[in-house]
Amino acid sequence: MNYLFQVLTIISIYSILALSLNLLIGYTGLLSLSHAAFYGIGAYIGTLSGIVFGLSFFPCLLLAIAGTVAISFVVSLPSLRLKGDYFVLASLSFQTIVFVVLYNWIAVTRGPFGLTNIARPTLFGFSLSSDFAYFVFSGIIALACLGLLYLIGHSPFGRLLKAVREDEIAVSALGKDITRLKVTAFAIAAGFAAVAGLLFAGHVRYLDPTSFTLLESVFVVSIIIIGGAGNVSGPLIGTVLLVTLPEVLRFVGIPYTIAPNLRQIIYGLLIILVLRFKPQGISGEYGFE
Amino acid sequence: MSVLVLDHVSKAFDGIQAVKDVSLTFEHNAVTALIGPNGAGKTTLFNLICGFVHPDEGAIYYRGKNITGLPPWRVTRMGIGRLFQDVHLFDRLTVRENILTAFQNQTGENPLKAVLLRRRMLREERSHNRRALELLDFVGLADKADDLAENLSYGQQKLLAVARVLAVDADTLLLDEPTAGVSPALIPDLLDLIRKLATSGKAIALIEHNMNAVTNSADRAYYIADGEVVSHGSPNEVLGNPTVRMHYIGI
Amino acid sequence: MLVQLLANGILSGCIYALIALGFGLIYTTTRTFHFAHGAIYTLSAYLFYTFYSLYAWPVWVAVILATAAAALAGILIDRVIYLPLIRRGSSRLVPLLSSTGLYIVIVNFIAIVFGNNTKIPSPGVQPTLVIGTLVLTRSQLLALGSFVVLFVFVLVMLRTTSLGRKIRALRDDPELVSALGINPLKTRTIVFGFGSSLAAIAAIISALDVGIDPNIGLAATLTSAVALFVGGVGILEGAVFGAFLLGTLQALTIWQVSARWQDAVTFLLLLFFLTFRPQGVLGRRHRSDEVAV
Repeated sequence: MNYLFQVLTIISIYSILALSLNLLIGYTGLLSLSHAAFYGIGAYIGTLSGIVFGLSFFPCLLLAIAGTVAISFVVSLPSLRLKGDYFVLASLSFQTIVFVVLYNWIAVTRGPFGLTNIARPTLFGFSLSSDFAYFVFSGIIALACLGLLYLIGHSPFGRLLKAVREDEIAVSALGKDITRLKVTAFAIAAGFAAVAGLLFAGHVRYLDPTSFTLLESVFVVSIIIIGGAGNVSGPLIGTVLLVTLPEVLRFVGIPYTIAPNLRQIIYGLLIILVLRFKPQGISGEYGFE
Repeated sequence: MSVLVLDHVSKAFDGIQAVKDVSLTFEHNAVTALIGPNGAGKTTLFNLICGFVHPDEGAIYYRGKNITGLPPWRVTRMGIGRLFQDVHLFDRLTVRENILTAFQNQTGENPLKAVLLRRRMLREERSHNRRALELLDFVGLADKADDLAENLSYGQQKLLAVARVLAVDADTLLLDEPTAGVSPALIPDLLDLIRKLATSGKAIALIEHNMNAVTNSADRAYYIADGEVVSHGSPNEVLGNPTVRMHYIGI
Repeated sequence: MLVQLLANGILSGCIYALIALGFGLIYTTTRTFHFAHGAIYTLSAYLFYTFYSLYAWPVWVAVILATAAAALAGILIDRVIYLPLIRRGSSRLVPLLSSTGLYIVIVNFIAIVFGNNTKIPSPGVQPTLVIGTLVLTRSQLLALGSFVVLFVFVLVMLRTTSLGRKIRALRDDPELVSALGINPLKTRTIVFGFGSSLAAIAAIISALDVGIDPNIGLAATLTSAVALFVGGVGILEGAVFGAFLLGTLQALTIWQVSARWQDAVTFLLLLFFLTFRPQGVLGRRHRSDEVAV
């Protein structure tokens, strides 16, 4: 049973990542390969706030969000003028730089040695150390995030983001500042990624930079490609599918040594097949054309 | 005072002079047409006014303020609306959504307000939806409100684009070939609308190839060829100008 | 010390240049961001390892077979993955994403077959050439020699053959690429085949130098992308220039900062260029390419 709660917790965490990245890819049409970087930055800022300043969960969360959003401006302001391949490359560059910093700034992040023994949050005197309790906690936070993202998406702001995806020139001709729209979307996505990051740190109770690589960013992107972009159901279906896939493999009895590789092969094949034959993914509103 | 002024504006692209020392004025309560052969630089002039392109020389003034070099969104906010020759609709949004994006100062455009001031946002949405349907009704697209814009015929798309620029509610409108592609039965109504917009106080700049449209709805015209102003005055004066006749009409 | 490091930098630049040249040829001619180029790099290295170390075939046989296989793989990838997408009218991001998916598939397949640990096709110490205080390994000299020969070959090909003229026309006017829709199939075939061969040669030289593991391809793709975009996108010489710039910069970083921060420096360099000079050092501005109106 504990195992089930752990999987559900991971699903909660990745659903936040997927739905926030959806704001960038599905709504605004920006293919960002740096989502894992913000996921990691949020995880580290939040966790370190707890360790260094002894703050409890919610202040740490606020600091994590604030810090990650602030850093997102450093990336977005210069690179959001860029189109197509160039923006993707810029996001990829940022992702790699963040990884190198997390890995090598040992004085602060302890790099590959990792931050160990991260404490579970304590709410109202009750420690969330059981898998069930942490699942309920993450699930509630995930639902709150999903709710907020839904409200943000179903609004004139969300509509303008989709318009930006369709035709930037027309959007400016209507008197709307495209740069501000994109920077804001980027900041929102980064903020939610930070929430997912801190939840992740509390779940596995150990942080090291190898959870926040370029391939992790690609993984979140593939959730959106495979599940579908633009609406809410697509990313959610994608999350459930891709998170439970390794667990399914485990039940089928795939050897421990090749399971991670086989899982990746399946992701890769799904990406290729979906893009070729069903660009809107399993259940998306917006197809990758 | 002229509301929109281009003062000795020049622009070259990769060595080719698209606009040469052009000075134009546009007035309130008037339709000013820009006519001339294809590739003469008329659309470039619109792009210069809107800020999609910056002039190499010269300046552009709107209501006395120098707007040269401002980004397009700011130019629109100052009161200049643009209708594009190649439509630029939001293909995968619905017809209704295309109009809704055009309204200015929506509370919900700020994501924070969209969450915290939800009720106000929803109230505005309702009233904007009503207004959008009015506009769609006016151009005859009300029954297609929830169709995707890309599924409309070309003529319908142009009408949608007209409705969208009306939703911006700008004082000055730059209309680039509004009648092209529109079914002939609807053109008189469209021209009628353009005249009404002018008489209600707006300044209209009109690029047109349809000479009937020009003579029937424009108060003044500029004839532009090879990036230069060749003639200006009332439409009949311009079309009667010998250089213009030889150049354009071939007589 | 500095001289040795610079020499190392320039010589690793030769390897990067070979990979980047292949990547750049493909990107410039077809405007496809061929992420899977790194997978071909990895594949060639492992094929070479199989033929040379496992089957003990003569080294030249192994080289030729691995390179031919790489060329074939590149051409196949274009036919099976990219062309159908382009015919459907996809934006450029879709082939990029599919390419990334393919990279993941190929590299993990290799990992399953061969395992994740490093393999060394040519164990033992390499013979070296000593010039004054400089020590150059056999691999470095091979890299230098191969690069010079192949680069000259490419330059000559670009300037004298009809294929070369087509490639130069397309690089000068990317609009032409989309206007033409699908490139003449023959040009694409040659470009993918040749570009993949260059990656294979680089992979083999590097394999003999430092060994192989399933992840070497990622660095290959990323480094060639950085080299191309920093050096100058529209120009093949740009890719080469960028490769040497990177090699030298990395050597200097190792000298002044530390080897661990190399990647950060590489990508900061790319970010700098993307922000302030998207056309790269040697490139010309194609405004439609990079900036949103």
